[in-house]
Amino acid sequence: MIRVENIYKRFGDLVVLNGVSFEVPKGTTTVILGRSGIGKSVLLKCIVRLIEPDDGKIFIEGKNISELSLKELNDLRKDIGFLFQSAALYDSMSVRENLAFPLVRHTDLSDSEIEERVKETLRLVGLSEAIDKMPSELSGGMRKRIGLARSLILHPKIMLYDEPTTGLDPVTSKEIAKLIIDMQNKFKMTNIVVTHDMVVALSTADRILLLDNGNFIFDGTPDELIKSEIDMAKKFLSTSLD
Amino acid sequence: MKFVENIKYFFSVIGGLTDFTIRFFLEVFRPPYEISEIRKHMDELGVKTFSIVSVTGFIIGLVLGMQSQPVLARFGAEMFLPGMIALSVIRELGPVLTALIFAGRVGSGIGAELGSMRVTEQIDAMEVSAVDPFRFLVVTRVIATTLMLPLLTIYVDFIAILGGYVAVIITQNMTFPYYIQLILDAIRFSDLIPGISKTFVFGFVVGIVGSYLGFNASKGTEGVGKASTTSVVISSLLILLIDSVLVRLTLIIFPD
Repeated sequence: MIRVENIYKRFGDLVVLNGVSFEVPKGTTTVILGRSGIGKSVLLKCIVRLIEPDDGKIFIEGKNISELSLKELNDLRKDIGFLFQSAALYDSMSVRENLAFPLVRHTDLSDSEIEERVKETLRLVGLSEAIDKMPSELSGGMRKRIGLARSLILHPKIMLYDEPTTGLDPVTSKEIAKLIIDMQNKFKMTNIVVTHDMVVALSTADRILLLDNGNFIFDGTPDELIKSEIDMAKKFLSTSLD
Repeated sequence: MKFVENIKYFFSVIGGLTDFTIRFFLEVFRPPYEISEIRKHMDELGVKTFSIVSVTGFIIGLVLGMQSQPVLARFGAEMFLPGMIALSVIRELGPVLTALIFAGRVGSGIGAELGSMRVTEQIDAMEVSAVDPFRFLVVTRVIATTLMLPLLTIYVDFIAILGGYVAVIITQNMTFPYYIQLILDAIRFSDLIPGISKTFVFGFVVGIVGSYLGFNASKGTEGVGKASTTSVVISSLLILLIDSVLVRLTLIIFPD
């Protein structure tokens, strides 16, 4: 479903991605784990071509995304949901307008059908009451939920999560992790979750990739990570037990 | 040293602006035209600037009238005061001062708004959701500023002429219809066209500069602040530079 081959990316002298390769099978959740600033978000943004890699290929549903025209790329992007680290809600729009935005742009649904879909998606993330609020009136956890709802509203086949629990308290982080699992159970999407939160990683992943110094130093299941002797894996596990 | 860096920065902005402007003209004629979004921005711009341009317009006319009246009186030419106020306002003061206020109020707002959208990943979110942020955010705003500034300038011209009338009646006994008649006698069609025409250019400058700096903002909140303040400085400078060129051009096209 998603195949990344030998991706290289550097910013000036700093090598961020140094020949990264991996595959995410359809309907599974892969977690990319790593310290802050190690290049996880850069990798995720390369997958949707928000950032162009210096070298390497990325295939989504068999299509090499660097060879797609803008129109083809946008058609593909309609099948991809992306939850940004900051949730990236449109400040000038209410929650209703934020959720309706992709539907207005990309579907022929009537106003009443859009309203129904917005309400239905808000129910999924447990925030029906927030429909008329502005983003500035929402807490960090609520913003993430609304961001998730907006990402899901076109029923994407692929869902990319960029640090979904950054800046949230542990209780809200667990709620977001549960929401990711619930959405996966409901929609059977192909997920990539980028995080440094072990709770999210262990609870949501079918497979975990540990990124360090521009490449993966671990590739395995959550159980294998727990048993791993790799120093960085042990450090992550110890922080999750603190 | 700082001065040299500022000059370098100014020219790097001008280079980037040129590419941005070319991109604008490549995109502007392609559908969809986002009419409702343009209308929304025009409404916002009107509301944002209405009160400040009203006050400014009135004071321009009033002060111009009060300053000029004693000078004209020395030559016994007080009857020319209404015409002089109207010509000064319509040809130069109205367009340029309205544009400078517009740059301060609207240009900084666009720079801050788009800059904030950039650093909080809202522009990325739009791009990922298969909506072209350049078309949706930039093209609509630039069209709105280009169309709105001429309308505001016409309004300011009228308000300034009213302010001028107040200055006139302080020292002279003149009815309003007679004041207007003297103005109509003094101005010609060739006085109206250049003043209004150049405001389309000024409106475009304010929109494109604010959008360019906001759209390319970086470095978090510091970048947003810089986009906002720099857009005022650059667009004000460009307005004055372009004005000096257009004045010369106008005098060539309309020699009288």
